[in-house]
Amino acid sequence: MSGSTKAWLAILAAVVLLPVFVRHAIATEIWIFAIFGLGLNLLMGYTGLLSFGQATFFGSAAYVAGYLLKYYGVNVLLALGVGIAVGAVSAAVVGYLCVQRSGLYFIMLTFALNQMFYFTAYQWTTVTGGEDGMPGIPRPSVLGLDIHPPLAYYAAVALLFLLSLWVMKRIVESPLGKILQAIRENELRAEALGYNAPRMKLAAFVVGGAFSGLAGVLYAMLFGIVPLESIGFVFSGNVVFATLIGGSGSLYGPVIGSFVFIWLSESVSSMWARWPLLLGVAFVVVVLFFRGGVVEAWARFWAWRAAHRAPAAARADAPR
Amino acid sequence: MNVSLLFSQILNGLATGMLYALMGIGLSIITGVLNIPNFAHGALFALGAYFLYTVIQLVGNFWLALVLAPLGVGLLGVLIEYGGIRPLYKAGHDYQLLLTFGLSLIVTEGIIIVWSPVGMSQLPPPLLRGGVNLGITFYPKYRLFVMVAAALLVLGAWLFLEKTRYGAIMRAGIEDKEMVSLLGIDIHRLFTAAFAIGCVLAGIAGALTAPIRGLNPWMGVDMLGIAFVVVALAGLGNLLGSIVAGLLVGLAQSLVALFWPEASVAVIFAVMAAVLLVRPQGLFGIR
Repeated sequence: MSGSTKAWLAILAAVVLLPVFVRHAIATEIWIFAIFGLGLNLLMGYTGLLSFGQATFFGSAAYVAGYLLKYYGVNVLLALGVGIAVGAVSAAVVGYLCVQRSGLYFIMLTFALNQMFYFTAYQWTTVTGGEDGMPGIPRPSVLGLDIHPPLAYYAAVALLFLLSLWVMKRIVESPLGKILQAIRENELRAEALGYNAPRMKLAAFVVGGAFSGLAGVLYAMLFGIVPLESIGFVFSGNVVFATLIGGSGSLYGPVIGSFVFIWLSESVSSMWARWPLLLGVAFVVVVLFFRGGVVEAWARFWAWRAAHRAPAAARADAPR
Repeated sequence: MNVSLLFSQILNGLATGMLYALMGIGLSIITGVLNIPNFAHGALFALGAYFLYTVIQLVGNFWLALVLAPLGVGLLGVLIEYGGIRPLYKAGHDYQLLLTFGLSLIVTEGIIIVWSPVGMSQLPPPLLRGGVNLGITFYPKYRLFVMVAAALLVLGAWLFLEKTRYGAIMRAGIEDKEMVSLLGIDIHRLFTAAFAIGCVLAGIAGALTAPIRGLNPWMGVDMLGIAFVVVALAGLGNLLGSIVAGLLVGLAQSLVALFWPEASVAVIFAVMAAVLLVRPQGLFGIR
């Protein structure tokens, strides 16, 4: 059995078993966040573009689709399509301004433009509800199926997650995905081979934005509200953290990361209102001691175990 | 249009613009020398304001607080650089970002725990209360003071970077770190010093802002975005650019506030987007 098949089986098992162990809303949120992370990882892990503004696309899509759902009663599939489109278009606009710069400038620009969208949502109270968010987002039936029960919605989101994962796998294994990785490894060389690096980065941006958009709409329908935070920079930081904690180089890193992140943050935030402090401490600890994330920490643990067993066995055999 | 209102808004724009320039210069030095994205810059700004508040509570002297608060922030900066950032110079921007972002969360939540989540106010010192008649308009003394003080600090930073030996080393560090260390200069000390200077400037900006806008734990977030805008417009390590960009952003914000108050913050970023559309390298950027 190949590694990829194993991974798919593990994820399928997780999808089926998760709602048994975790509250349905949290289980649903985990897969939504995983879709969000998949989109970011195409930029961060595969293209080497550290975007600190992914909430821009997540939130914009959530607001637009939420508005259509709430005031125009559009059907779910249309809302999802609009959300994906809004995510892609807003990412194209932001990406166009950002991909011409690299490194620190790129990070700062994505953050600054995220702030622009945030303040627009904050001040445009007649549409977005400002600080209170946009409540009353319905979750209508889709194709005659009632997705209102938590478990039904979980199933729908989990299916979309699996579909997203499959699409993302196809993308990273496609020629585009390979070119993006080439740009990450050596942009000059990729340019020398004839690839237009800024245009390819923009393509990655748009695809990443589309995934963020999908996640944003699902999020709005999960909680029935588009909170202002969904377009705020903390959200952008959370998805970066979730992706890094899972391991940004691999396809499955963001999936593991969002599981760890959502599960932890949900359990801690219910205990202590000042939980962002612990989140900050977690950021610092992970960065200083567990770079490479869960995937690497896991590998290191097994390597450590193996190393400690082998010498022990060797010592026992060795003549004194 | 009311002329005196327009005039005082222009003055407001210049005063906030000077504070933005201070933030931008500090961030620019840090980002330029250390080559890290400092997402804690806004939180350090907020900390400067809270330190000022507490020192005033303790000793009752605004001027002493104005000196001590930024130094406190600078000291914290030395600790942060030494314990957190130093191990990460080779780790990549993603981890540096996560560290500084984590620190900003810790500082913000720390402020809430130590002081309170509720906003607070801080009066200017007695000497600077009230207004002066400028002929066209009546203008608060304290804001005039901030304008002058920030301008002097910007000038001081310029003199330091352009005229002193250490400033020259710092500028060289922005240009080419390897060369600087080959010349036998302790690059780690340079990094620590640059980070501390940036923190002190953020702390001063925060302390000066407190009597104008009051204090709240999230006051640094807006400032962080604006500081990024200033740096993006100016180019890393570009002092003159930071000043012009800071003033431009401050003026744009306060003038838009006259016509369309709701858009006054978003317009800052719109200005940046518009400039970058024409000049992707920023106003004063070379590349």
